[in-house]
Amino acid sequence: MPIGAGAIIGGVASIAGGLFGSSSAKRAARAAAREKRRLQQKLNNLEKNRQEVINPYEGVKSLSSMISNPFANLSVATQAAEMKIEEADISLANTLDTVRATGGSGSATALAQAALQSKKGVTASIEAQEKSNEDKRAQGEQDVQRRKMAEEQRMQQADVAGKQFVFNTTENREVAAMDRVASQLGMSAQAEAQAKADQTGAITGMFGSLASIGGSLIK
Amino acid sequence: MENNLNQNLFLQQFNKSDAIAYSQSFTSSTSDYNFQLLDNAYRNTGRIYAKLKLAIDSNRCQDETCALELAEIKHLQEAPQASLDFLSSLLAELSVTDDSNFDPNNNFKYTAANSVMTAKPGFSKSDGYNVYLDLLPNGAQQIAFIGPAFEEPLVINSTALNALNESNTSLVVQTPDVSKDMLRLLTEVGIFSPDMVSEDGQLSAGAKITEEYVIMNPDGTPDYAIIDVGGGKGRNTLKYDIDKIDKKASPFINAEVAGLMSSEQDAVAAWNVYISKGTSAEEDDQMAQNANAGEESWSYEEDLPLDQDKKVLFEKKYKEYFMNNYLKQFITNQFPTVQADAAVFDLAEAKQAKAQKFIDDNNL
Repeated sequence: MPIGAGAIIGGVASIAGGLFGSSSAKRAARAAAREKRRLQQKLNNLEKNRQEVINPYEGVKSLSSMISNPFANLSVATQAAEMKIEEADISLANTLDTVRATGGSGSATALAQAALQSKKGVTASIEAQEKSNEDKRAQGEQDVQRRKMAEEQRMQQADVAGKQFVFNTTENREVAAMDRVASQLGMSAQAEAQAKADQTGAITGMFGSLASIGGSLIK
Repeated sequence: MENNLNQNLFLQQFNKSDAIAYSQSFTSSTSDYNFQLLDNAYRNTGRIYAKLKLAIDSNRCQDETCALELAEIKHLQEAPQASLDFLSSLLAELSVTDDSNFDPNNNFKYTAANSVMTAKPGFSKSDGYNVYLDLLPNGAQQIAFIGPAFEEPLVINSTALNALNESNTSLVVQTPDVSKDMLRLLTEVGIFSPDMVSEDGQLSAGAKITEEYVIMNPDGTPDYAIIDVGGGKGRNTLKYDIDKIDKKASPFINAEVAGLMSSEQDAVAAWNVYISKGTSAEEDDQMAQNANAGEESWSYEEDLPLDQDKKVLFEKKYKEYFMNNYLKQFITNQFPTVQADAAVFDLAEAKQAKAQKFIDDNNL
């Protein structure tokens, strides 16, 4: 109690003491109430400005358009077959011409057989080569597509994981910040309650003095 | 407004300076603080109470219902408790003027009234001051301060004060402890790792901003700035991504400002004492004895409620104040955490090595 407070207030000395005690408690209660209001507003603002909940899979696209059948356009080796026929015809004609010119006595059928036989191997080889090349192209194409898809998938997964990471980290930090403010809010509410209790205590101490004032009224 | 500011500053300095202790005229004369507020206020109440009681008991009321007399008796019975409530609320308000960060833009009469109520030297009856508590017929009470510091009596009504307090408004504005708030905000903005914050919410000694905000080279090493430490020697310092820090901290600073704006008069006090001039925390301590915001002060009478422009300006300056006075120290002259990079080196050699690296990197 400040020096002279009793004289300033007058009445019984304990009233002045109680008044100053009560005023301190009142100020503390008001400060705690103000702090509570401030923290509540801060918490509201943090909650209002929280990040939107995201769907990390939002950007995932179907990769089906990248899938095609590499065997769909395989060419058939008809050229080789046509060539085989043509070459066989030419060979037969040539042999017949030679037989006629030389007066030979070979069987035309046998000659034709021989000519045909000689070209058969070549044709088979070309066909095999063409088929092999076609198979390799298809295989290569299939491989490229598989790798492209795998890379696309990897990129999409990385994108999803990245979004998830950013969201979770931000979320954790925001929640931690809000937890801290909420905890401070709880403490300020306790402080306010305590200050109010102190104020009640200080006022209770003045009751005896009040009675003496009240008594003086009816004298 | 300027006159009020000067009056307030004068009273504050007068009370803090102890100058009066060296005044012969003061020390040689009697200081009478015997204001006897309650004694004077209740002096005649016993007689009035008795008259009213007699009138009721003997059916001599102003009307047959005795409504007026009964109401007055009720007021008198409630008056002592009301006086104590009123005085304790008033003392709580006035005590704000004793705070070290009190905004002198508050009405100086409250500073003078506090000096009277707390019996400060120079504010006694002998110095020309007096205080009266009056019980009004409607049950309200009023206190009046008179004396040299009051050109006109300062009158405060109990119902008005009560209404203000009930609506969470103050007669005298308590300046928020912005320094404390900003130190706490530092730990909340999410740029320090949690292990650098102690249990009591304070940043630990040697706390550093997390590496996430350090500017890196493409090869993953920190992009150092070199500072000249004298004698031809230099040291590496970390560079920070200010935009990223700003982006991270802004929502938390905005929330802090929103909290402060829950009581606009608090924001005005914070503006006047700390924020407006963009001064340093140390300068603010000194400023409290001078003029704080001075001519840039916002007035409680004229500027409340705050218009949108002022709110936006407050938010901008609050952020600047935080960045300049509290965050800057953590992004300036921060030495590398890697031991080898933190060593002092020869500046000329470092410059040459840097030039050579540039030539090599660019095939020059």
